[in-house]
Amino acid sequence: MTMVKALNSALDNAMEKDDSIILLGEDVGIDGGVFRVTDGLLNKYGKSRVMDTPLAELGIIGFGIGMAMEGLKAIPEIQFQDFLYTGMDQIINQMAKLRYRTNGDYTLPMVLRTPYAGGVHGGPYHSQSGEVYFTHTQGLTVVTPSNPYDAKGLLLSSIELNDPVIFLEPKRSYFIKGEVPEDYYKIDLRKANVVKEGDDLTIITYGPSVPLVNNTVNKNNVNADIIDLRTLNPFDLDTILKSVKKTGKVLIVHEAPKMFGVGAELAATIAERAIDYLSAPILRVTGLDIPVPFALEDYYVPNERRIMEAVNKLLNYQ
Amino acid sequence: MIEKTDIGKEELLTGYRNLVMERFMDKKLLNASKQGFLPFYIPLMGHEAIHIGIGLALRDNDYFYPYYRDFGTVLQKGIPLDMIMSQVFSTQDDNELGRDMPDHFSFKKYNIGAVITPVAGHLTSATGIAYAYQYRKKEGSIIATFGDGATSTPDFHVAMNFAGVYNLPMVFFCENNGFAISVPTYPTENGAFDQTYEETRGQIYKKAEAYGFNGIRIDGTNFVEVYRQTRKALENAKNGPILIEAMTYRMGPHSTADDPNKYRTNTVTEGSEKDPVIASQKVLKDMGILDDKAIESINDEMDKKSTDLINKYEKEPKPDKHTILDNLYEENPWYIDEEKGDIQ
Repeated sequence: MTMVKALNSALDNAMEKDDSIILLGEDVGIDGGVFRVTDGLLNKYGKSRVMDTPLAELGIIGFGIGMAMEGLKAIPEIQFQDFLYTGMDQIINQMAKLRYRTNGDYTLPMVLRTPYAGGVHGGPYHSQSGEVYFTHTQGLTVVTPSNPYDAKGLLLSSIELNDPVIFLEPKRSYFIKGEVPEDYYKIDLRKANVVKEGDDLTIITYGPSVPLVNNTVNKNNVNADIIDLRTLNPFDLDTILKSVKKTGKVLIVHEAPKMFGVGAELAATIAERAIDYLSAPILRVTGLDIPVPFALEDYYVPNERRIMEAVNKLLNYQ
Repeated sequence: MIEKTDIGKEELLTGYRNLVMERFMDKKLLNASKQGFLPFYIPLMGHEAIHIGIGLALRDNDYFYPYYRDFGTVLQKGIPLDMIMSQVFSTQDDNELGRDMPDHFSFKKYNIGAVITPVAGHLTSATGIAYAYQYRKKEGSIIATFGDGATSTPDFHVAMNFAGVYNLPMVFFCENNGFAISVPTYPTENGAFDQTYEETRGQIYKKAEAYGFNGIRIDGTNFVEVYRQTRKALENAKNGPILIEAMTYRMGPHSTADDPNKYRTNTVTEGSEKDPVIASQKVLKDMGILDDKAIESINDEMDKKSTDLINKYEKEPKPDKHTILDNLYEENPWYIDEEKGDIQ
């Protein structure tokens, strides 16, 4: 099934099991979500559990937080991550800090789902990769799946977590297909996935860039470890270090811009702990450091050519 | 005229005692902050009648989401003094372990929300809590308090809209003290009160109409009146939200970081007719509940009690420094464990 169907199946499984789960957001009810992730759930669970809300991201997020404070498990959907910022105060100041500042008097079990990154030619306001706004906010868990199987398992694990999760769905991968069980299953949120094993270099990537990296590596017969982070914060340090110590060469690929991005944190962490194992500089292939341009988006995102240039630079490094 | 209320004389007297206690605590906590025992304090003089009135109106099933100026409400609600004082002085027994500022309470088991500093940041959360009450068909209503400054924020308007759309059991309670730090509720020129604006567009309680429910304006200096209107609102909220605008005057500074002399001339001073302590005294005297002798003995008692409490708690040990890394997540990430070594 597609990633959209996998996510829908996860929500359905979870809601069937637990009547404290409430979905809310713009157009999630009758319309089933603009990407159809919540399709059919209104009919099955009713409007008290699948709520079409007023058009206000601040309200959708704050309302969900309140539900979670009072024992419900809210799963708000923000239609596009680009529109989420009016609710950013709620995310940073209430959602992320509530457990800490009350020393656990209140906890917030909730999952904020939102599609992010490019792939639909959405221009500056339907294509943003804003993951670092969340990864740099203490108290959040930031998860992003790369395929349908992971999407369902990671979403179900996020729903069971007793802390707030920002669940970033790569919209460019919404309609890729894969084997997905109908039944309930979970994936460890703190374990990265080694997609492919190889000895020559380590490629660390996540979310929307995983299929691109995978195809590029397979097509060009690159002998690389591909690590799909699955969870950006906290990321799986052990899996990364194990691979880096084996290969000594690191390429990081993500669609978000390079400067101050997730790649910077990964590179610094690897350098701090394993620089003696490295035989080449750590390289990054990322989105360009500009807003996403509407007509020429393809020049913005990482591609096979840029990845192979970096791979060859690392392999030939003396 | 004082009407009959459904509240006993004993309760009203307890309310008055707490009102006086709050007044003494406020003055002494402000002093403690000036002397360096408290790093920060948010004074509340002028708000006491509102706090006690709401505290009296709350039933166990009701949920109260305060803002940062609601000391007297949690006092009247009956939160153990030890919990309140430990929080105010950030002691090792503070249930928040000293992580948030004085009066930023969080008492979940008493149905009290976690006070958040950003103005109005709790209002959409409060509506979400109200939805949970509605969904679970729980008894009781939700009341959230905020200042007049909060009514300019998007949070206020979004929360009002959600409450109206879902017809939530929700009381929005504006403690209108006339000022958002230095900026008056209504636009003024050269510090003068602009009555035209206030009469035509500035009345906060009228904003409820646009969201499909009722708003009322009440006297915020008389705690019996505040009690009566708030209790009625909490009962009626079962049928939908309501906005209350309680009028009072912030007799002190906004916080320990500003000097009101710089931006206004105090129009209500301690001991004057509109001082909530004096106004409440008058009401209780008229009801035959209070006389001058009782006023004096309650004053002496609360003066001593507040001094003793502050002396005790300002000496209590602070939380252990190693606790600051605890409870960010249910299971903290590897990097938090590593940072334990940074605390020496």
